[in-house]
Amino acid sequence: MKKAFIILLLVVVGWVLADTFSQITFGESRLGDVKQPETVGAYYLNNTVEKLSVANVITAIVVNYRGFDTLGEVTVLFLAASGLASILYRRKEKGEHDVMILKNSSQLLQTGAKLIFPAILVLGAYVFIHGHLTPGGGFQGGAIIASGFLLMFMAYKDYHVSHNVLTWVESVAGIVFVSVGIWGLISGATFLENVLGTGTLNDLISGGVIPLIYIAVGFKVAAELTGVLETLLNFKTEK
Amino acid sequence: MVISPVHYIALPLFAAFLMPLLAKVNRELVKIIPGVVLVYLSVVSVILMQQVVNTGQPIVETLAGWQAPWGINLVFSQFTGFLVSLMTFMATLIWVFSYRFKKVDNEPALKYYILFMMLVTGSVGVVLTGDIFNMFVFMEITAIASYSLTSFYRDRDGAEAGFKYLLIGSLASTFMLLAILLLYTQVGTLNMAMIAERMHTVPTGMKVTILILFVTGLGIEAEMFPLNGWAPDAYSQSPSPVGATFAALVVKAGVYSLIRVIFTLFDIQGAYQYLIVMGIITLVIAEFAAMKQTNLKRMLAYSSIGQMGFVLIAFGIGTKEAVFGALFLMFNHAVIKSLLFMSGSFFVYNSTSKEINGLSGIGKKFPYMGFLFSLGAFAIVGLPPFSGFWSKLYILIAAADESMLALVAIILMVSIVEIVYYFRVVAKLYFGKPTDEEVVHKPTFGGYFSMTVLAAVILVVGFYPDLITGFLHRAADTLLDKGAYISNVLGH
Amino acid sequence: MDPIIYNKIITVGVYGSAIGLILIGLYAVLVKKHLTKIVIGLSIIDSGVHLLFIAVGFIKGGTAPIFSPKGIELVNGGAQMVDPVPQALVLTAIVIGFGVTAVALSLVIRLYRHHNTARIDHIKSLKW
Repeated sequence: MKKAFIILLLVVVGWVLADTFSQITFGESRLGDVKQPETVGAYYLNNTVEKLSVANVITAIVVNYRGFDTLGEVTVLFLAASGLASILYRRKEKGEHDVMILKNSSQLLQTGAKLIFPAILVLGAYVFIHGHLTPGGGFQGGAIIASGFLLMFMAYKDYHVSHNVLTWVESVAGIVFVSVGIWGLISGATFLENVLGTGTLNDLISGGVIPLIYIAVGFKVAAELTGVLETLLNFKTEK
Repeated sequence: MVISPVHYIALPLFAAFLMPLLAKVNRELVKIIPGVVLVYLSVVSVILMQQVVNTGQPIVETLAGWQAPWGINLVFSQFTGFLVSLMTFMATLIWVFSYRFKKVDNEPALKYYILFMMLVTGSVGVVLTGDIFNMFVFMEITAIASYSLTSFYRDRDGAEAGFKYLLIGSLASTFMLLAILLLYTQVGTLNMAMIAERMHTVPTGMKVTILILFVTGLGIEAEMFPLNGWAPDAYSQSPSPVGATFAALVVKAGVYSLIRVIFTLFDIQGAYQYLIVMGIITLVIAEFAAMKQTNLKRMLAYSSIGQMGFVLIAFGIGTKEAVFGALFLMFNHAVIKSLLFMSGSFFVYNSTSKEINGLSGIGKKFPYMGFLFSLGAFAIVGLPPFSGFWSKLYILIAAADESMLALVAIILMVSIVEIVYYFRVVAKLYFGKPTDEEVVHKPTFGGYFSMTVLAAVILVVGFYPDLITGFLHRAADTLLDKGAYISNVLGH
Repeated sequence: MDPIIYNKIITVGVYGSAIGLILIGLYAVLVKKHLTKIVIGLSIIDSGVHLLFIAVGFIKGGTAPIFSPKGIELVNGGAQMVDPVPQALVLTAIVIGFGVTAVALSLVIRLYRHHNTARIDHIKSLKW
């Protein structure tokens, strides 16, 4: 009986959603005129190259135009990691296993992981350093690096990453981000405003503070995601 | 560096990122830094409110150097500024209360204070921002901090309460995301002032769908029926300072976002009726449920939900007097409910059980605390000469002015229910037979201080309501003036 | 193939799969009894919503909003760039979804440790 009611509810929800979205034509441009921007998207497409010299418009949006959102997002990550640690915290009881993975994986995985791991790290670093030139950025690069660590965690049962190092990287990266913002405030401009010169388009050093912020974000995301994995896998107690 | 609204967000974030490093240096620093930040922000509130009241213009701060609507902006007006100042003062008092609060000391203090500060920052951010996706991000900050803080204690059913809260919260944020998405496709912008300006171009069917999605998404934090199932568990299982923070900050942010969406963005006639109806349902169900509770904290939680229903009714009436009354009620609720939570928590902590029956006679053992709790109880049911009386009176007058006499009758009837269950507790405190237990935990100095300040506020505002009615009138005007909001933010 | 029918199929495919994901996730949250499955359901709902975001920003025949040398060439040749804003919003939404999932999983672990079961109907206090 209850299942039938839920199926009915799902059908209603599905129908409402389908009806609503059918009014939004797929593939139609709602941007309006890009040269005389009325909508926010058109404005960004029009002005990013001249005002910011950044090739990847999405990076410019995430870090500069809507940088405040990104600050909030970084905070959400930080909070999630803290919340996770606080919920799972407990004092170690006697005789309890410290680690959740009890035996090593196959030889193939172990060797393969050791070989690929540095490559994954480099790929991740490349993605977040070039965030303003190619698709990608801090979050994507950080996630790639964390997946490299996950591979190592799965391959070796005793693989540990020092919590100390992770905490340091996390905190320093977060402080760098907020400091760049406050630097904007102190220089008389607004919070998070670009206070460095913008350079030329498609150079590695261009876009002012944007690559700086994204690199900090990349480190922070990598450290945080790895920290979350470490906490879930090893249940280390807090000092 | 000029004092500006972004300090409310930037400084706590900076402190939160710094705290894990400082914890390695000295444990005590972790407890002091939130206090320093909050005291500084209270001072900032006073300065900014003065500026806003003197010039009559809101402070609109652009971020990252891009004018609205191309960038995100913060709006500190007589309305939002009033709410933010209230939240910051309450947060400071709650920090003072929890400074040496016994139970928090034993658990990892670092995580607790980080989460607490982020809870405050998230709520303040929701109120300050002028951009709708930004509001979503800050709501999520508040939500994640709430989930973690609800499950903070190990020896209670915190994890269940937290999980229930998380489930409902996630569904709500999904609805809100869908609403933002649909809205973006229709108006092409995310800035609230510009959305308000362009709202008339949206076809009505789509408008209604988006409004329903928004109200469902935001109604959870605003504790509107039927989305408030999480609240009694969350309030009762979380640490007491956190319960006070929920009542004084989080729910205010939730109601603010709901009101902002309905009043400024949408402004459809049916929405106001809907608020009144949902407010009545929330109020009636919550107050009757409160009467049946035997657990003190759950009773206070249901009472809180009922008060929020009352606030929604007042906003739904929509006239200037009603909005004024609603804001007054929000102010009173923040102050009085926190006092009740703080004093109630000490009683519960000192008795064998969390049940009201276990509190018999405690009022005689802790006479000052008993006095404080009774003061709070009298104030919240609306007895003169306490502050709660004025807010209830103004809302009733506003309802009568609109000839909604049935509404007046319902509110009065519910007030009687309130009186019954609050007086029951007060009677138990004083007239019950005291148990022969030792006095185990006396309130800390910080606890006494913050509770006394709150009680003083209740008394002072009760006798001289004009102290804050000026602020409230201006706040109500600012909220209702949609055109002024748009022109102040967009500059035309 | 007739372009109108082709468009219809693409539209139904894209929107349909995104809405389908939301419905599947919703089903999992409402019906399943095992806590981990409920959390996975939440994650699936999030994926569906993110897909909708990106679908809405798409412009037919558009190219990526990146002004690389090739991108500039395409724009000068008359191509349009897709709407960058929904993609930026999705970045933020994905991270937030991750945060919520992480906290949810930690709560599941804690509940499991405490009650030795992860089924919602065996944990009394979770009843509505």
